[in-house]
Amino acid sequence: MKTIKKFTHIDARTVDEAASILRAGNARILAGGTDLLGTMRFEVLPDYPEVVVNLKSIPGLDSIKEEASMLRIGALAKLEDIAKSDLVKKSYAALAEAAHRTATPHIREMGTLAGNICQLTRCWYFRLPDNRFNCVRKGGRQCYAVRGDNRYHSIFGAVKSCFAVNPSDTAPALVALDARIKTNKRLIEAENFWDMAIPGSTVLDADEIVTEIQFPKPAPGSRSAYIKFAIRKSIDFPIVNCAASVLDGNARICLNAVYNKPYRAAAAEEFIKGKRITEESAEAAGEAAVEQARALPGDRNKWKIQIAKTMVKRALLACA
Amino acid sequence: MPEEKKPEDIKKKGSGNVSRRTFLKDAGFVVGAPAIGTMAVSAERASAQDKAAGGQSGAGDVTAIRTEAARTIQLTVNGDKYRFAVEPNWSLRQLIRDEIGLTSPKDWCGGLGACGSCTVIMNGRPVLSCLTLACECDGAVIETAEGIAKSGHPIIQAYIDHNAFQCGYCTPGFVCTSKALLDRNGDPTEADVRDALGGNLCRCATYQQHPPAVLQAARELKKT
Repeated sequence: MKTIKKFTHIDARTVDEAASILRAGNARILAGGTDLLGTMRFEVLPDYPEVVVNLKSIPGLDSIKEEASMLRIGALAKLEDIAKSDLVKKSYAALAEAAHRTATPHIREMGTLAGNICQLTRCWYFRLPDNRFNCVRKGGRQCYAVRGDNRYHSIFGAVKSCFAVNPSDTAPALVALDARIKTNKRLIEAENFWDMAIPGSTVLDADEIVTEIQFPKPAPGSRSAYIKFAIRKSIDFPIVNCAASVLDGNARICLNAVYNKPYRAAAAEEFIKGKRITEESAEAAGEAAVEQARALPGDRNKWKIQIAKTMVKRALLACA
Repeated sequence: MPEEKKPEDIKKKGSGNVSRRTFLKDAGFVVGAPAIGTMAVSAERASAQDKAAGGQSGAGDVTAIRTEAARTIQLTVNGDKYRFAVEPNWSLRQLIRDEIGLTSPKDWCGGLGACGSCTVIMNGRPVLSCLTLACECDGAVIETAEGIAKSGHPIIQAYIDHNAFQCGYCTPGFVCTSKALLDRNGDPTEADVRDALGGNLCRCATYQQHPPAVLQAARELKKT
């Protein structure tokens, strides 16, 4: 096994202290470590951090609690604890299922919800060890997926020439459930949280740290669901996933792994508005969701369009 | 390792077994790292942390960060207490194999977290020791397949009875994951077992044998 290269390790005592270290120089924050340590071991990124700041040493960030009007999940809450929480399962079905379908049981025992939504893309050009493809996402000139093997890449076009997709399982659940992401600086609506960044995937500043994820308490009668398509039941990242929440004929539908960031299926939401969810209407909403979808030249990722359509349909039917 | 161990014993590696690395650590060598020393904030913090953790540098004001022996940790592995000076970049798997000498946490996927072969039980959770930093394991209680076998846990005999392995390379990971499941859930369903073992890969494809083996162990445990 390749040894992880040397770095300095600091246990942060507070979020502010962690942020100050991030400001001071080439540092990364570490919670579960399941994404960061892999990129470090294989030197995936062009720059190697000098300092790793451990957030697990900050007390009080791992709670899962419901207060009057919202569910509050601390940045260090582990995915497995969220998936198993009766509180989450009862009222936030899409989140519980999304957390449960993330990665493997071991990774869920280590990884956090905050880490899951901040993870880097799994694009295989981006992830090849030793930064062999210095792609546009790392500050290079081109997206190698355009002419290469792009069977898992974006069906809704590129952002800044990058066709990679956001691989998060939980991100669409956050969007469908209208979550807010609290950082040490601000409160961000889930829908505005992701962006193509170099090399990141979020709108967070270099010294910004997610501290909590807040979900408004669903209104009585609302339903939510999460559906994932992957080859294996465990381990795999999503090929396409979808979360939906429905209340009184209004739906919030979010696909992921189809675009650079979680893709809100606004056309499908518009179509299903005020309609009863049936096999036919859900199918048509799925059609609407992928109306703008385009396969990359060569049609290698064309299959994902059909899957995205079906994911929207199944997610809606699960909310019926 | 000695035969008789009291829980309160704090052990270090025997002197007959000193590697250059442990010698440097034990001697409290301070290795300057100019490249890292540029980060003033972290330099102060790291040295403060060293002192807090009982670091033996004795160097007063440390202007450069020690890149070796950055942290002294204590942890319990299979009931035995250990104390180590660990470097920040060591994985828990490295510590368990190279320093403690327990070879059950295997490496298959190369340290990506994709295979489950290096699974150990840490504070009741099945975790991947390849993606866990040793320096973050201070105070941790860890169980490996060796400890589970030694304790006479029925999962071992159940694996034998059901031939739940061929080459055996992935087996310690499966055993740790199964035991962690049984610790939490004494009456798992077959679906629970399949779900819990979803992160362990077996190249010999013995998957079908695992659920009955784990369920047998659960029945055995209920009898006692």
